[in-house]
Amino acid sequence: MKPLDIPTFQPRLKVLNREQALVIHAAALEILEKTGFKMEHSGALEMLSDAGCRVSDGDWVRLPAYLAEEALSSAPRQIALYDQQGNKTMPLRDGNSFYGTGSDATFTLDMETGQRRRTVLRDAANFARLVDGLENIAFAMSMANPEDVPVEDIYVRVFAEMIRNTNKPMVFIADSGKDIARIYEIACLVAGGEAEFQRKPFILNYSEPISPLRFPANVVEKLIFCAEKKIPICFPSGTNAGGGAPVTLAGAMALGIAENLVGLVVHQLAGKGSPFLFGPNVSVLDMKSTVVSYGCPEWSLTQAALADMRDEIYGLPTWAYAGASDAKVMDAQAGAEAMFSIVTAMLSRSNLIHDVAFLEFGSTSSLEMLTMANELIAMSRFFTTGIPVNEETLALEAIERVAGGGPGSMFLMDDHTFEHFEQAQFLPKLLDRSRYDSWEEAGAMDLYKRCNIEAKRILAEHQVAPKSEEVLHEIERILQG
Amino acid sequence: MSDFKALAEAVTKGDIKTAVAETQKALDSGSNVQDILDNGLIATMDEVGERFSKGLIFVPQMLRSARTMQECMKLLQPLFQESDVTSKGKVLIGTVKGDLHDIGKNLVSMMMEGAGFTITDLGVDVAPEKFVQKVQEVEPDIVGMSALLSTTMPSMPLTIEALQKAEIRDKVKIMIGGAPVTEKYAQEIKADSYASDAGSAVTKAKELLGIRG
Ligand code: B12
Repeated sequence: MKPLDIPTFQPRLKVLNREQALVIHAAALEILEKTGFKMEHSGALEMLSDAGCRVSDGDWVRLPAYLAEEALSSAPRQIALYDQQGNKTMPLRDGNSFYGTGSDATFTLDMETGQRRRTVLRDAANFARLVDGLENIAFAMSMANPEDVPVEDIYVRVFAEMIRNTNKPMVFIADSGKDIARIYEIACLVAGGEAEFQRKPFILNYSEPISPLRFPANVVEKLIFCAEKKIPICFPSGTNAGGGAPVTLAGAMALGIAENLVGLVVHQLAGKGSPFLFGPNVSVLDMKSTVVSYGCPEWSLTQAALADMRDEIYGLPTWAYAGASDAKVMDAQAGAEAMFSIVTAMLSRSNLIHDVAFLEFGSTSSLEMLTMANELIAMSRFFTTGIPVNEETLALEAIERVAGGGPGSMFLMDDHTFEHFEQAQFLPKLLDRSRYDSWEEAGAMDLYKRCNIEAKRILAEHQVAPKSEEVLHEIERILQG
Repeated sequence: MSDFKALAEAVTKGDIKTAVAETQKALDSGSNVQDILDNGLIATMDEVGERFSKGLIFVPQMLRSARTMQECMKLLQPLFQESDVTSKGKVLIGTVKGDLHDIGKNLVSMMMEGAGFTITDLGVDVAPEKFVQKVQEVEPDIVGMSALLSTTMPSMPLTIEALQKAEIRDKVKIMIGGAPVTEKYAQEIKADSYASDAGSAVTKAKELLGIRG
C-alpha cells in the first residue's frame, strides 16, 4: 500500500480579491499621476525629473505610472536579514512571518514597581536582551526613547546599546543622514567590514514620509543613503484613516501605497536592486480620543489586504504591525488586542511584523507584554501550521489497540501518545491551565505577574554572546567622535 | 436676548445651509450682532464641546459644528467695527523645531477657533526665532507649542528662553502639549499651562485668560 502523502493545508486569511487589489493599485497610480506630491529633497527632485516626472511650483511632482511599475520590477522580491553572527534568520519572502518589537516608546512599565515611567538607556538594553532570549521574537527595535542621553545622540546611543545586548537582526530609527552614517559605521564594524555587511545585512531602517504626499528632505536623505549602501529599508507613511488619510480604508490604502511607491521609485533610482520592504501604516485616528490607535482591527485588516496585494501584484515582502495595544496596563484589553493582531498578521502572511509589546498606542513599552506576546505568537504558529493528515496522525493502529485493549485502556497510556504529543499539542508555558487549588498554591498569579517573573528570569539567566573587545572598543570610539 | 433655538439646532447638527439661513434671519429681524455671536453661536459650540467631552458625539461631528459656526461668522464679521471684534483671545501656535507632527496641533487650533479664539498657525518645524518674530508681529495672548518627539521637546524651553531674551515672555501665556509632554515638564520649563488633548486645551486657554464658561 502506498503511504498517505497529502500536503498540509495551512490556514490563510484573504481579505481582498484580485479585482479589489487591482483597483486600489490603479488608484495609487492615479494619485501619483494626477494629484502629485511634494518632494523637498533637491537631489531626489532632480532624479525624478530626469527620470520623466513633471515638476511644477518648484517641488510638486507628478509621476507617470510606468516609473512606479519599473521600480516594482527592479526591487528584489525577497530580502534576507541575517543575525549578527551571519545566520540567515529572517528570509523575508513568500509567507514567512517574523515578529519584533517597536521603536521609541516614551514611557515603560517599570518591571519592579509596575509604574509607568520615562524610558532610559537601560530599558533599550533590557528589551534587546529579552528579545535575544525569546524564541519567537525574531528582531529587535529600541522600545525606548531614553531621557538620560543627549537628544542629538539618541538614535546612535540606542543602537549601540542594542548591539551590546542582542545578536538578533535589528530595525532602527535615525534622525537624518548624519546619525544614520554613524549607525552604519557601527553595523559594518560588527559585520566585519562593509562588503561583509552588504552580503549579510542585519539591520533595516524605518523612515517615514508624511501623509498626505509630503517627502521632507531629511527623510529622503535616509532613503537615498540606504539605497546607496544597500541597507534594507521600509518607508511607511502614517496614513492613519481620518487623520493623515481618508477615513475610508480603501482610500487610505491607496494613499499609503502611493506614498510608498514614491519612496520605492526614488530608492530604485538611487540604488537599483537595493532591498525595499513594502507597505504603509494604515491605522485609524480614533474619533473620540483622537489618538492614532495601535490596537484597532483596521490596521490588521489593511495589512492583510496589503499581503493580498503583494500576492496579486507587488511581489515585495511587506512591513506590518502586531502585538500592540491601546490599553494603559497589561490587562485583558492588552491581551485581546495583541492576540487579534498577532494571529491575523500570521494568517494573512505579513512578513516583517513590528510593534510587539507596545501599550498606550505606542507611548509605553512593557517587558511583560513582550513575554506574553512570545507565547501568543507560538499559539498562532501552532494554529497556522494546520492539521497534518497522514498514516501517523490518523493513528488507526492506535485506535485499534486502545479500543481492543480492554477496560481501563486509554490513549494516554499508548506509545502513540508518548511519541507524538509534543508536536500534536500546543504546550503553553505562561497561559495557565492548572486546577484551582494548585493555581492558588502557586501564588494565585495572573498572567501579568507570571510574565513579570519570566521576564526577570530571562534577563537574569540569558547569556548574549558578547561582541569582541575590539569591536566594543571601536563602538565606544564612534560614540565619542 | 433673542431666541436662537433653530440656529443652535442647526449648528449642533452641522447643517451649514440652515445655520447660515438662520443667522441671516436673525440679522434681518434686527437681532444684535454680539448677541447672535455670544448666545447663538459660541454658547452652542460650548454645548457641543461639552457633549464631546462626555463622549456623546465624535470628533468629526464636533468639527462640522465648528465649521458651521465659521460659515455663520462670515455673515457677522463685516458688521463688527474693527475695534469691537470680540475674539476670546489671540493664539499663536506651532509645532516646534525639528518636529513635523501636526495632526494634534491642527486639531487644537480648530477646537480653539471653534471656541472663539483667533488663531495664527505657524505650521511645523518652527524655530525659536520664528516664534519670537511672530509674537512681536501678532501680539498674541497665548503661545501654543506642540511637540510629539522627546528629541524636539527641548525646543520648548529654548523658545521660552528666546522670548525672555526678546523681553516679551511676560506679555504672553505659554501653553504646551503633545504626546510625550507632561504637566510636570510644563512646570519644569516654566510654561504657564499644559493640556493633554484638544478639548482640555480650550478649557485651559480660557482659564489662562480668565474667561469663564
Ligand atoms: C502620525 C504619526 C507620525 C506621522 C506624522 C504625520 C503628521 N502630519 O503629523 C509621521 C509618519 C510623519 C511620523 C514621523 C515620525 N514619528 Co511619529 N507618530 C505618529 C503617531 C502614530 C500619531 C501621532 C498623532 O498624530 N496623533 C493624533 C493626534 C491628534 O494626537 P496628538 O498629536 O497627541 O495631539 C493631541 C494632544 O497631544 C494635544 N496636543 C498636541 N499638540 C498640542 C499643543 C498644545 C499647545 C496643546 C495645549 C495640546 C496639544 O492635543 C492633541 C489633540 O487632542 C505617534 C504614535 C501615537 N499613537 O501617538 C507617533 C510618534 C509620535 N512618532 C514617533 C517617532 C519616533 C517618529 C519618527 C522619528 C519615526 C521615524 N521612523 O523617523 C518620525 C519623526 C518625524 C519628525 N521629524 O517629526 C514616536 C515618538 C517617540 C518619542 N518619544 O519621541 C511616536 C510616539 C511613535 C513611537 N512610539 O515610536 N509620525
